[in-house]
Amino acid sequence: MNQQTNPKAVTEKRMFSRETTVSVKIEADPSIVWSLLTRASDFPRWNSTVVSLTGEIKAGASIELKSTLDEKRIFKLKIKEFVPEKKLVWGDAMGSRVYLLEKGASGLLFTMSEKIGGPLFPLFAGMIPSFDQSFEQFAADLKKEAELIQGSKK
Amino acid sequence: MTSDQLTTEFENFRGELKSFILRITASVQDAEDIVQETYIKARSKLNTFRGESSLKTWVFSIASNLAKDLLRAKKRWPETVTDICREEVLGNRQFFQEAMQIRETSPQGKFEIKEHIAFCFTCVSKSLPLEEHLALLLKEVYGFKVREIAQILGLTEAMVKYYLHVSRSKMIEIFDHRCALINKQGICHQCTELNGIFNPKQKAQEELVKIEMAKDAENKSKEELFDLRMKILQELDPFESGAAELQLHHLEHNRQVMEKYLGE
Repeated sequence: MNQQTNPKAVTEKRMFSRETTVSVKIEADPSIVWSLLTRASDFPRWNSTVVSLTGEIKAGASIELKSTLDEKRIFKLKIKEFVPEKKLVWGDAMGSRVYLLEKGASGLLFTMSEKIGGPLFPLFAGMIPSFDQSFEQFAADLKKEAELIQGSKK
Repeated sequence: MTSDQLTTEFENFRGELKSFILRITASVQDAEDIVQETYIKARSKLNTFRGESSLKTWVFSIASNLAKDLLRAKKRWPETVTDICREEVLGNRQFFQEAMQIRETSPQGKFEIKEHIAFCFTCVSKSLPLEEHLALLLKEVYGFKVREIAQILGLTEAMVKYYLHVSRSKMIEIFDHRCALINKQGICHQCTELNGIFNPKQKAQEELVKIEMAKDAENKSKEELFDLRMKILQELDPFESGAAELQLHHLEHNRQVMEKYLGE
C-alpha cells in the first residue's frame, strides 16, 4: 500500500469492478482528521475536489455530494458505517467509498478507497472517469488542512 | 481556597465574564443571570476546585456550561443577521425614537463606528455552531490558551484547534464578503450608515482613518484584518464603553428580531 507523503492513487481494474485506493500519512490527531471528514458543510472550504456536500454525516443518514469529477451530477449517498476516528463508509447501490484511520507507531495513516461495480459494470465502465487524480488531491488537501490545524499556535 | 478568596478573585474578572456571556447570548438579562448563577455555583462547588486550572478557567467553565444549557435548544442566527435586522429596523419608528433619546441623554449614548464593529461581530458570530463560537471568543477575544479552552469546554486540545481554525476561517470569509470597511466590494455599510444618522455632522471618512482595520485595509491580509477586528473587541467592554447603552439597545432589538425570525 502506498503511504508516501505525496499521495499516489492506485486503481485495480477487473471485469466487473474497479477499485481506487490512496493512502497518506498525516501528522495530526485522529480527532482533527475525523472532524474534517464528518463536517459536511465544511468540506468545500478545505477540499478542492468537493463542490458541495449537504446533509449530516452520521450513521444511517443521507448526504448529497457534488464533486469536481462531474459537477452536473448530484450523488445521493448513504452513510453505511460510522466508527468515530476509525472508519467511515458512504455510498450507493453502485459502490462504496471507505475512509480508514489507522494509528500506528509511525503516526496516523489515512486510507481512502472506492469500489464500484456490478453485473452491468462492463457496459458503462468506459464512461466513468478515472478517480486517481481526484483521490490524490483529496488526500493531499486533507493532509494539508489537518496538519495546519495540528500545528496551529497554542 | 476560601469563599472570601473566591469572591475577591471573581470580582477581578467579573467584567470579562459578563462581556463574554453577553457576546455568546446577545442578551443583557441572560448575561447578568448567568454571571450571578456562575458565582453561586462556584461558591457552592468550591470544595471540588482542585487547582488543576486557574480559578478563572474553572469559573469560565461553569459559565460556559450554563450558557450552553441555555442556548443548546435555540437556533443559531443566520450570517445575514444584520441585513434582516436592518430591514426590520427601517419600519420601526419606536426603535429610532428610543435610540435618539439614548443618544441625547445617556453618558453612554454616543455612536462610534468602532463600537458598531464590535456589535456587528457579536451578531454575526452567532451564526457559528455554539462550540465554535465559544472557542473562538475564548481564544481571540479573552486570550485563553488552547489548553485552557479545552478545560473550559471539556474538549481535547485537538478539537479546540479544529474549532478555532474552522470558526476563524468562516468569520474571515464572511467579513471579507460583507464588510465594506475592509473590502470595497463588501455589501454591508451599516456602521457608516448609522454614523450618518447618529452623527450627522461627522465625516465618516475622518472617523474611519482612526480605525486601524479600516485605515490599513488595502495593505493587510484577510488574516491580519481579522486580528485587527478582534483587537477592537478585546479593547471594548460592551457594558462600560462610551456607546454601551446605545449598542445594548440595538443588540436587544436584534435579539428580539432574531427570535421572531427563527420562530422562538
